[in-house]
Amino acid sequence: MLVLRRRAGEAILLGPDIEIEVVEISKSRVKLGVRAPRTISVTRRETSAIAAENKQAPALAVAGSGLENIVRLLRNTPSLL
Amino acid sequence: MTTPLTVREPVPGRVILSSCLGDISQDKGSELFLPAGLPGFETEHVLLPVEIPARRPLVFLQSVRSPDVCFVCLPVSCIVDAPLADISEDDRAGLDLDPGRNLVMGEDHLCLALLLPCGDTVRTNLDAPIVINLRNYRCAQILLEPRHGSRRLTVDGTWEPVC
Repeated sequence: MLVLRRRAGEAILLGPDIEIEVVEISKSRVKLGVRAPRTISVTRRETSAIAAENKQAPALAVAGSGLENIVRLLRNTPSLL
Repeated sequence: MTTPLTVREPVPGRVILSSCLGDISQDKGSELFLPAGLPGFETEHVLLPVEIPARRPLVFLQSVRSPDVCFVCLPVSCIVDAPLADISEDDRAGLDLDPGRNLVMGEDHLCLALLLPCGDTVRTNLDAPIVINLRNYRCAQILLEPRHGSRRLTVDGTWEPVC
C-alpha cells in the first residue's frame, strides 16, 4: 500500500481527474473532500457490505403470499409506537 | 391501483409501473429524492413511498424507473423503542438536515428499516436505516455509529438480534 503524509489543505491525485483533499484533521477523524467525475462512485468502504445486503431486498416485495405472513407476524408484535 | 403514501398536497401525476404493486398513481410531490441512490442501487434516484392499508405497517419504496425494484420497509420505531444513534454531521449535510437542531422523529425526519428476506421471515440491519428529511424529501441510507446490529422477525412477532 502506498502511504502518503498530507496536511490539511493538501491533496492527492488519482489519475488525471480524481482529487482527494484533506479538508480538516481533528483528534480522531480526518475530513476528506473528493473531486471526481460524476460517473465515479464514491462511497465509504463499509457501504459495500450494505450494497450486497440491499441487492437481496427487492426479492422480498415479489414474495407475494410470504408478505402476508410477515404482516400477520408484525401485527402480533407488541406496539412500540 | 394502489395508493401512494401521502406526504404532500397531492397533485395528479403519472402512473408508475410496479412488478410487485401493479400500477401506482404517482402524485406530483410525493416522491423521495436520493441524490446518491441506495448502496447497490446507485442509479435509483427517485422512489415513491406507498402504503397499502392491508399491509400496514409495511411501507413500500417503489423505483419510478425500474418496475422490478421495490423495497419493503418498516418504521424503525416498530422494531426498537429507543431512538437509534444520532445522524452524523456528514449525513445531516447530505440530507440538508439542520446541523444544530435536535431532530424530532416524525417532524424533521423519518427512519425506515429496510427489510431483507430471511427464510420464511425477514431481517433488517439497524445500522443502515433509510432516513427521509420530511421537509425536503431528500432520502439516503446512512450508516450509524454506535452499531445496533441486525434483527430478525421471529414466528411469535418479536425481533431477535442476529449474530
